[in-house]
Amino acid sequence: MEFWKDPQEAVTAILKLHEEVAKDPELSEGMKKVNQLILYDYTESGPGCAVWVDARGGKLEFGAGDPPGTPDLVMSLSADDAHRSWSDKLNPVMAITRKKIRVKGSATGLLKLAPKLKKVAAVYIQVLKDLGMEDKIIK
Amino acid sequence: MKYPELSFEPFFSWVNRSRIMYSPGLRSEVGYEMAQLGGTRAVIFTDKGLVDAGVAGMVVEAVEKSDLALAGVFDGILQDARIDLINEGARFYREKGADCLIAVGGGSVMDTAKAINILIGDGLDDFAPLAAQAALWDGAKPLPPHIAFPTTAGTGCEITNAMVVLDTEAHAKLQVTHPFCNSDIAMLDPELTLKLPAKITAFTGMDALTHAIEGVTSNNAEPIADALGFHAIRMICRYLPVAVREPDNVDARGNMLLASTIAGMCFVNAMTGAVHALAHTLGALHGIPHGLANAIMLPHVMAFNLEERPDRFMMVADAMGIPVDGKEPIEAGRLAVQAVKALLKEVGLTQTLKDFGVPGEREGLQPLVDLASGDGQISYNPRYVEEEDIINLYLKAR
Repeated sequence: MEFWKDPQEAVTAILKLHEEVAKDPELSEGMKKVNQLILYDYTESGPGCAVWVDARGGKLEFGAGDPPGTPDLVMSLSADDAHRSWSDKLNPVMAITRKKIRVKGSATGLLKLAPKLKKVAAVYIQVLKDLGMEDKIIK
Repeated sequence: MKYPELSFEPFFSWVNRSRIMYSPGLRSEVGYEMAQLGGTRAVIFTDKGLVDAGVAGMVVEAVEKSDLALAGVFDGILQDARIDLINEGARFYREKGADCLIAVGGGSVMDTAKAINILIGDGLDDFAPLAAQAALWDGAKPLPPHIAFPTTAGTGCEITNAMVVLDTEAHAKLQVTHPFCNSDIAMLDPELTLKLPAKITAFTGMDALTHAIEGVTSNNAEPIADALGFHAIRMICRYLPVAVREPDNVDARGNMLLASTIAGMCFVNAMTGAVHALAHTLGALHGIPHGLANAIMLPHVMAFNLEERPDRFMMVADAMGIPVDGKEPIEAGRLAVQAVKALLKEVGLTQTLKDFGVPGEREGLQPLVDLASGDGQISYNPRYVEEEDIINLYLKAR
């Protein structure tokens, strides 16, 4: 992997990002509106390398590994590309056309949040700093 | 003008799968070309307006004169590629035992045909789950033979690997992409556009102009798309007023058809921006035809974006034929906005959002804002667009 020393490090950073997103009124409301169980499947970068977000029925929970049920949406990509994506440094259209991101299920709800990715990226940079991972910030 | 240095993302990819053919009277080649693709029995997808105008008949006649069997004509397509009609069209194709399709129409017909071909190719009955998935690239395989005859100039969607479908239940337009959905051959026959009424000629032409301008100013702009987009702007500014004034002018019609396809090749790679995001929503909630919604929003969004990419807007001005030597880029960009407004007036597009009953107060605009702020194209706008900005843009366009 280009950015992570192991899959656990990626999961730690991305879980922490979701923890912070949940504290932001605009972003958390946006996630709740998606009303789905989403699995970000990064297992191509190592076993157990996955993060799920449960935004069903007005809740907003997240965790690592197997999701608590059948996901409504699975987005499969490498942990490195997940890092680029959360940093707003991955062109999603190009990533999809090159099959670096593979989508299964209904993506329309999550896509509505795509314009908020700039804001999410700012949160992510702060998360990386808080975790002592400044070296991973993409310039 | 002195060519400015235009920055672009250093990593990009550019694609155009479709073969493009051009000639007045090109429809006479449809049988031969479909045979080369392996098609033997075709359904023509079109709409009733084109049947009544005799335009669909021109392609039917060309098929009947060839060795290609005509399985049937499906003319039930309405404005916007509706999921219910996509499913109905796929049933029709199967019932008629077809093995290839021909789309004869504007954006709604061509997008409907693309979606039908995906259902046929994948052996599916319902497009709704595919529309919800949005990106249909993983495991995608080539689809049955598909030739498109655009009858407007236009959407460019004869060659784009994307389609916009209307979910009539959710009142939302969904953008869907698939690597093989565009036509195998885009057959550009300007004779099929001669009967297009002046107003539709005008707003479909402005749609093409919007594709080109948004394509060369988007976050994704890059040199290959620039080459296409700026030339499309030159062609449209020169030939659209002529095509509106002289509907039988095959030369002007042909240049507009080519410009529309060229603009399509630009924007499907460079994406668009806030004009499209706001226009998709106006189409979904107020039924405003896509080209017209783009035409209304274009100058307002250009003005909003000017300061973000002044050099690129100066290039737009230059492509529109405005003398820009000695002018500051931002000043040249403002002249481009004025030129778009003048072009709208020249081609008779003077309507505003007020004419379509779009609310004039914030509360009434909120449903539009909610949809537009989540539209995929807004991410490619050169300037970050807040909800407040969307409200202001709609209010300015009233």
